[in-house]
Amino acid sequence: MSGASCKANGAVYPASSVMMNSVKKPKMEQIQADHELFLQAFEKPTQIYRFLRTRNLIAPIFLHRTLTFMSHRNTRTNAKRKTFKVDDMLQRVEKMKGDQESQSLSSHLQLTFTGFFHKDEKPSQNSENEQNSVSLEVLLVKVCHKKRKDVSCPIKQVPTGKKQVPLNPDSNQTKPGSYPSLLVSSNEFEPSNSHMVKSYSLLFRVSRTGRRDTNETPSRKKRSSSHREDGETTETYVAQMTVFDKNRRLQLLDGEYEVSMQGMEDNPVSKKRATWETILDGKRLPPFETFSQGPTLQFTLRWTGDASDKSTAPVAKPLATRNSDSSSPMETRTSTLRAAPVAVKDSVSTDVQMRREQVLCEPRQKLRIFYQFLYNNNTRQQTEARDDLHCPWCTLNCRKLYSLLKHLKLSHSRFIFNYVPHPKGARIDVSINECYDGSYVGNPQDIHSQPGFAFSRNGPVKRTAVTHILVCRPKRTKPSLSEFLESEDGELEQQRTYVSGHNRLYFHSDSCMPLRPQEMDIDSEDERDPEWLREKTATQLEEFTDVNEGEKEVMKLWNLHVMKHGFIADNQMNQASMLFVENCGAYIARRNLCRNFLLHLVSMHDFNLVSVATIDRAMVRLRQIQEEGNAIEKR
Amino acid sequence: MEGASTPVPLHSQKKTMTAYELRRRVKSEYMRLRQLKRFRRADEVKSMFNTNRQKIMERTDILNQEWKTRRIQPIISVLTLPVVCVQCTVDSGFSEFSKQVIPLKTLNAVASVPVMYSWSPLQQNFMVEDETVLHNIPYMGDEILDQDGTFIEELIKNYDGKVHGDRECGFINDEIFVELVSALTQYSDNEDDDEEEEQDFKVDKMELCDGKEHPEDPRKDPLISRTNNDSTKKFPSDKIFEAISSMFPDKGSTEELKEKYKELTEQQLPGALPPECTPNIDGPNARSVQREQSLHSFHTLFCRRCFKYDCFLHPFHATPNTYKRKNMENLVDSKPCGIDCYMYLVQVSSHVTQPSFSFIQFHFLNFHSFVLVFIMFAEGNSRCQTPVKMKLTCDPEAVDWSGAEASLFRVLIGTYYDNYCAIARLIGTKTCRQVYEFRVKESSIIARAPAEDEDTPPRKKKRKHRLWATHCRKIQLKKDGSSNHVYNYQPCDHPRQPCDSSCPCVTAQNFCEKFCQCSSECQNRFPGCRCKAQCNTKQCPCYLAVRECDPDLCLTCGAAEHWDSKNVSCKNCSIQRGAKKHLLLAPSDVAGWGIFIKEPVQKNEFISEYCGEIISQDEADRRGKVYDKYMCSFLFNLNNDFVVDATRKGNKIRFANHSVNPNCYAKVMMVNGDHRIGIFAKRAIQTGEELFFDYRSVTRERLHNTRFILFIHIKHIMHDTGRLQSHILIG
Repeated sequence: MSGASCKANGAVYPASSVMMNSVKKPKMEQIQADHELFLQAFEKPTQIYRFLRTRNLIAPIFLHRTLTFMSHRNTRTNAKRKTFKVDDMLQRVEKMKGDQESQSLSSHLQLTFTGFFHKDEKPSQNSENEQNSVSLEVLLVKVCHKKRKDVSCPIKQVPTGKKQVPLNPDSNQTKPGSYPSLLVSSNEFEPSNSHMVKSYSLLFRVSRTGRRDTNETPSRKKRSSSHREDGETTETYVAQMTVFDKNRRLQLLDGEYEVSMQGMEDNPVSKKRATWETILDGKRLPPFETFSQGPTLQFTLRWTGDASDKSTAPVAKPLATRNSDSSSPMETRTSTLRAAPVAVKDSVSTDVQMRREQVLCEPRQKLRIFYQFLYNNNTRQQTEARDDLHCPWCTLNCRKLYSLLKHLKLSHSRFIFNYVPHPKGARIDVSINECYDGSYVGNPQDIHSQPGFAFSRNGPVKRTAVTHILVCRPKRTKPSLSEFLESEDGELEQQRTYVSGHNRLYFHSDSCMPLRPQEMDIDSEDERDPEWLREKTATQLEEFTDVNEGEKEVMKLWNLHVMKHGFIADNQMNQASMLFVENCGAYIARRNLCRNFLLHLVSMHDFNLVSVATIDRAMVRLRQIQEEGNAIEKR
Repeated sequence: MEGASTPVPLHSQKKTMTAYELRRRVKSEYMRLRQLKRFRRADEVKSMFNTNRQKIMERTDILNQEWKTRRIQPIISVLTLPVVCVQCTVDSGFSEFSKQVIPLKTLNAVASVPVMYSWSPLQQNFMVEDETVLHNIPYMGDEILDQDGTFIEELIKNYDGKVHGDRECGFINDEIFVELVSALTQYSDNEDDDEEEEQDFKVDKMELCDGKEHPEDPRKDPLISRTNNDSTKKFPSDKIFEAISSMFPDKGSTEELKEKYKELTEQQLPGALPPECTPNIDGPNARSVQREQSLHSFHTLFCRRCFKYDCFLHPFHATPNTYKRKNMENLVDSKPCGIDCYMYLVQVSSHVTQPSFSFIQFHFLNFHSFVLVFIMFAEGNSRCQTPVKMKLTCDPEAVDWSGAEASLFRVLIGTYYDNYCAIARLIGTKTCRQVYEFRVKESSIIARAPAEDEDTPPRKKKRKHRLWATHCRKIQLKKDGSSNHVYNYQPCDHPRQPCDSSCPCVTAQNFCEKFCQCSSECQNRFPGCRCKAQCNTKQCPCYLAVRECDPDLCLTCGAAEHWDSKNVSCKNCSIQRGAKKHLLLAPSDVAGWGIFIKEPVQKNEFISEYCGEIISQDEADRRGKVYDKYMCSFLFNLNNDFVVDATRKGNKIRFANHSVNPNCYAKVMMVNGDHRIGIFAKRAIQTGEELFFDYRSVTRERLHNTRFILFIHIKHIMHDTGRLQSHILIG
């Protein structure tokens, strides 16, 4: 099974695995050029999606199983919700607290040994008094970082316990509870003080005395590799498994393991001599042959920990991908992994979850999916056949064709996917989405965490208004593959973004400074009379040589007045003149411009813009203002 | 100078020396002055730069002040790595200085913004003149300069090889010329001998004669005498002009230069106003002048279309001489203004007064009878038996009229005619009696009341629209063969001639506007709409003619109401009212900067006016060459005569990007006599959407020289308007 998934390993390298549709075999350069074109079209988005996939694995922003079209990925049922009561929560918490107190050990590695299997031995049927167990010693080997004085890496061996393990047990007979088990506290895996530990591994050492040596007690320590006692033979088998490699990656996940043991005659394999093939009696064996040949130790490994704090045991989570199957512990050379659907709880591993899915959907994977990449003006097409329902870009197992298509369409919108039914399964036409809208849709505060005034301590301040949809239950149509068929029209309309709002940082158009949220509502740069224009009209009038200073002054005042209020109609002029007196009357009086102002009004009258009555009224008002001004001066 | 230091050189030798030496001196002096000028210019630039800098500093200070008042709490970004406290240490290596330690703080990377070339904000178009000199050689990176040197050459060729600040040796302006002459005079003063003096004397005499030619101008006299004083002291010798002339042959002969020098030095005298300038009426030097003189500046500078003096948009302003008064306002107060009113002077008895006033009114139409009327008044006065008679005895000559008062009187008499009370009120310092008496004295200058329109005989109001319709049909026939050219509107001014085929408005296929000098009954005038709806359908003749509603013509649709509020019932007056939408600037999703809308808008709603500099088509061609090279153009064809260029001046909509599937469209509309570009929503636009319009529909394709086709299809519109008008009549 592991092998099967290995075959499906990796993301798409479509270019490398393409099969040409054309009948004739093109020349090499042509292939090269075609390849270039293909890369040109598809390389960038593919890289982007690969990056996004990794990012989503490390820090997911959503879970696929919560999507409606991926609901089959959700293993939980909401059945319990119906009977849910708030009071239950308290009960549960109290119960959990009690459990915790009983479990003093915060977290530990639990090894439950199923048995030691050695084919040389006859199965222990007649074994009441026969020796049917072997002594197993488990040592935790800490390989430390080399210090300057050290010649080789210092190794610390910490004995963790000794157990009697049944020899060749019959799995049917033994009760599961009766297996011997060992606990290794996770404290052991904490970085120790004296030496920086590079890697941790478990060393299993099985000692099996000869048939006569029935009285051997487990308490007797056997440090030496092999020795004879009273002429009896004691065989010792060893095996080593890495728990954490030197990058502090956890290599042993929960599961059932079977370790192939080696006789002690040859020293425990050092890393330098490690090879990839197994050699038995000078002959090379296929990898899995050792399991049928050599002695093996079966055990179940489990990381247990607090219910409250699951993350104590594994330090670094491996990437939960299909690829991780292939990175099974290498140093043990000969360990394999059995899927353990029962033993595993949702402790660590999405990895295991993934694997389980594969198990489940394997039988249905007879559907063939052809990806047809369209590029270079739709003229050249290349296809790639695949036989599973994984998304080629993010390796997500969609498990249903509908889900796959929906996922592709929604998550990889840099491409356009069109579904075409195919006798063997499905064909998906992939082309580049020219109208892809990469604009950010989300909270603008997220993208530019500028030290805004929103975080000022001096009381509340304004923030940019952002609309979040909390609940949206649109009417959904029944899922149907027909929605992925190429539509004839309305394509453009559909590609418009539906998310609207101010989800970007705006800038002042004059200074290019970021616009602060409290400045959003004022259109500061759209004034009718910007400063430069006011200055310009003044200088322009000043340049006239044959206009006297009194005229210039009134003209400037009037121009500024008109610019400020933006008068547009003839019939506004009477009103504008009166407003002018109100606003500038005091200044006109002070600067002694009354007669010039009167000339201005008469001129306006000559242009048919103001009435005589307006002139009268404006002048009366001006005199009034003048007198008021004088009165104030006197005081 | 050696020549000068040698006491008695040979005469002939000296002569040759001076000819050569002078030439050399001219050159050296010229160079010195040029350099001096350059230094001065550099200093100016420096100080200007410093003042600008000061402004920026002030601005920054204001901003910083604001920041200081608020204690800012930094945001810990969610995505940052687990906070590691790294110590930063600076070790000087000297024992006396302690180690400086501070925790390392990393600042978030700030994304850079797209490039923006500086521009000036503007909300209304701004007309600029053609540039005859290339102001700067555009820099577009070294590689372009290297690979395409011919481009710059061609560019300079467009400007006839003139580049701003080019230091060609023949360059000489008035200022340098005067300085050069005065500098050379100083040298030559040393060697000036009798013959030179003689010449000077001659010049003096000539000048004096000049002065005598205008003895009636008292103001000019002292100036000229002063000039004479100056010139007697140091009017430069002919040799200097000879030398300069030989040095710069293109600047004219010796005599020409001399004349020019005289002219320039005269003008330089302080306190001299050009003769055409009227002194300030509020100032101490106010003189008594004619009405036209007093109002000359106001009349010529006022733009009747912008209501501003020396406006930015219209280079030619019509003077009001030919404008006619719409209505005869109440020219004469019917009641005396007080007990001292002049009316008591003229009032004999109630039954006498009445006819005399009717006479006054009559005289408005009949200028020649005016004197006659006054004789009648005088007679009335003498016969008057009222107490007013007593007042009359007070001596009218005793009142002193200042120049300002006299000028003001002449101005007002042209507006108020015989309403002396009003005039007196406005003058403020004189009573109406005094005004009246002054009026009698001044009877030689009499303002005439405007006559009825003589140019175009008035038509009956009722028939107006029907005539309009037939006229439209007429024009439509004429325009059948014409293309889609749209010309700029220029108010027509052809007195006593109806707007026929010779009228510029008609030939340019524009309607006559309220700014035209023709009668308001002119056939070519657009009548405006009488809509009661929103004027946003083709039912509205204004909308149909791609015009905004004129607030002085369309009085029912609401275009002339609610000046302060944004809620105008008429939706066809947005450009003139500047009812633009709030736009926000941000880096575009497409390229460079983009413009985003703050609030959602409906389809066909007005978004903003595309403002900029208005330049001629030729200028646009020249500028366009540079813009094309930059791959960035803000040119926008307005009509056959002008182009809007938002490169240097503009408003925010200039940042809207091009799209083949845009959400906005541009429409050139006639707005109160000006073509203006409105940007409208092509579909409903959501909050925060970026705005696009199709550049192709509006920008000129310079290469193929195909002019942008305006949206107005005159033929169609004319036809429809005609039909509509008849509909309106029926309805």
